[in-house]
Amino acid sequence: MTAEFVALARSLERRDRLSPEERSLIEQLPARKRRFDSGDELVVEHSEPSESCLILTGIVARAQFLPDGKRQLTAVHIAGDFVDLHALLLKLMDHSVVALTPCDAAFVPHSSLIAAFEASPHLGRLFWLSTVIDGAIERAWVTSLGRRSASVHLAHLICELFVRLETVGLVRGNSFDFPITQTDISDMIGLSLVHTNRTIQDLRSSGLITWERKVVTIPDQQRLRDFAEFDPTYLNLINRPR
Amino acid sequence: MARYYFDVDDGVVFTLDQDGIECASMDELRFAAIDDLPDLARDQMPDGDHTKILVKVRDAGGSYLFEASLTLDVKWAAGEMDKSEP
Repeated sequence: MTAEFVALARSLERRDRLSPEERSLIEQLPARKRRFDSGDELVVEHSEPSESCLILTGIVARAQFLPDGKRQLTAVHIAGDFVDLHALLLKLMDHSVVALTPCDAAFVPHSSLIAAFEASPHLGRLFWLSTVIDGAIERAWVTSLGRRSASVHLAHLICELFVRLETVGLVRGNSFDFPITQTDISDMIGLSLVHTNRTIQDLRSSGLITWERKVVTIPDQQRLRDFAEFDPTYLNLINRPR
Repeated sequence: MARYYFDVDDGVVFTLDQDGIECASMDELRFAAIDDLPDLARDQMPDGDHTKILVKVRDAGGSYLFEASLTLDVKWAAGEMDKSEP
């Protein structure tokens, strides 16, 4: 598998088997690579993209902006995530995708994706699955936003990120790189900056995580999962025919 | 841009802010302190009849320069509603 599609293939293969033909269909997708700085928009709200965007490195988020300048991040995406498969069907973007860290992305023409899905309807279903899982993640986020306390919400998010990063081979032992700002976190969990900052300190002082020099470490996975009431079912990490 | 520390007294526990956040202006500091109060109240709904949640902001030198508080007062009501008004 060529470098740009390794993480994507890993993510798909955690959920189902890819045939050699499907692997080569993925490899043959034309990919126009671009580098973004943190803060850049990869996909712009109200635009009508003719390509979908695959994250290769870095961390990006779906963002919705309010007239008063506030922002809610409604999803976070990592290497191997196709962030705007939505646009393939929706056409007009109802939100932006912004880079939270410097990142590399590959843009694949919608026409090439449709051709690959027509050659392998099963591959099409796996891409469909990825948008269905995006929906499942959003449900988990809505539940956290609406009902979980700040520290449980943040712990839940950290458990989720660890599992997702582990799926694409981006954790080291119990640690992962998380070079995003506290403002980004506060826009994800919908809390004030000060409360977000205190919540991070709470998790740290209770020994559930360490968070130093942009690296998050989870000393005891089970303890953090218990605290976060984290059940990874919604991430659908089961390999089965789909 | 300077770093300020937001200590909290929720009526039960006093929490010293170890990390602080950067504020570009006094307006931003004021907003950050006030914005924090509803989150605090939502997170730990105070118990008891009179509770005050207090945020005190200090600079890197340890001088306090701003505070904001939110008070919860609870009591059982007595008396009848005024039925003379339409």
